[in-house]
Amino acid sequence: MDCREFCDQHVAFVDDTLAGIELVRMQRHLAECESCAKHDAKIRRALLLFRNLPSIELSAGFSQRLEARLRECDSDHLLAVTQRNLRRGAIAATLASAVMLGYIGTTLYHHTDAPRDLVMAPVVATMPEPELTPITTSTPAIVASVSAGLTIWPAALFAEQAPVRFAHSRLELTNYTR
Amino acid sequence: MADIVRKKAVSVEGPSVRERLQAMDDSAVVTAFLGGEERAFSELVTRYQTRLLNFVYRTIGDREKAEDLVQEVFIRVYRHLHRFDRSKKFSTWVYTIASNLAKNELRNRSRNPLVLFQAVQKNFEDDDRPLQFEDTTSRPDDMYRKRHLREIVEESVAKLPEHHRNVFVLRELEGKSYEEIAEITECNLGTVKSRLNRARNSFAEIIAPYVD
Repeated sequence: MDCREFCDQHVAFVDDTLAGIELVRMQRHLAECESCAKHDAKIRRALLLFRNLPSIELSAGFSQRLEARLRECDSDHLLAVTQRNLRRGAIAATLASAVMLGYIGTTLYHHTDAPRDLVMAPVVATMPEPELTPITTSTPAIVASVSAGLTIWPAALFAEQAPVRFAHSRLELTNYTR
Repeated sequence: MADIVRKKAVSVEGPSVRERLQAMDDSAVVTAFLGGEERAFSELVTRYQTRLLNFVYRTIGDREKAEDLVQEVFIRVYRHLHRFDRSKKFSTWVYTIASNLAKNELRNRSRNPLVLFQAVQKNFEDDDRPLQFEDTTSRPDDMYRKRHLREIVEESVAKLPEHHRNVFVLRELEGKSYEEIAEITECNLGTVKSRLNRARNSFAEIIAPYVD
């Protein structure tokens, strides 16, 4: 081992963290090299002085001051939490209002549209076609009445409806001939 | 505060709570605090306040400011403990906070040339200093020599570059492992070893003329 290597390993040597073989090599070099031995002694003596410095003690009011600051910290925290909650509440209220307004707005908008939705499709009113009673010459009642020689009512009725019947017959005849 | 309400509600009853907390490791104390035992936080403060004060004081060199920063560390721990990754070491997390605050303080101070590390240390009046370093049974000249030596050591540490001093204090004063220092200072392991080596050499060089 040379002096350079000794110096490189010196931190671990002083802290006693070297592996067995390395430790032996360092100790051997220390015994052989006067310069490194002096360096080692100088470092150890300086460290001894520093490590033996008296401990600084806390001032008398330290604990009270710390306690007061922790209480202050608690109250600050409480205040911050309250403010945060209030802020959250305000935000929630604003959001709720916005939702409500949106709902109202939408409702109103749809309300104006509602009649449009409810309007039925336009209906074209038409007069129902006059349904003619299909009385033919072969109406069973007339046939029956004639053959049975019953009252003349069917004949009277027939006579009364004769113009219509004739017209209807003519129309049918026209239709057929077309 | 909901957390406090929760903490009080789940509070562990019994006369030996403090003793039980003292027997727990950091992780268990943190769990107890998060589970609602408010006294667990006092236990954490008790465990770390002096260590952190020494660490911050050795880093920034101003006792009053160091106390303020230690308080700030505990305030941050109190506020953010629920976010702490419990798979990691609590002490590493606390020291990381303290180290960052100390770094910020030094950065702010460097922007204000009127407040220098040495100047701050000089303001620390002799009468205010605890006398543990001195042995009261010693002769006055011995006491003077020791106090003088202490000043020299503190000044020598103060002369180290900030990033070297940070690593040096964490290792020599707090006994942190290289891995922990790497995590606290957010450096890789090689950088930590290199900085520690340089810091030790520089410190030994600075102090050598006074102790030889």
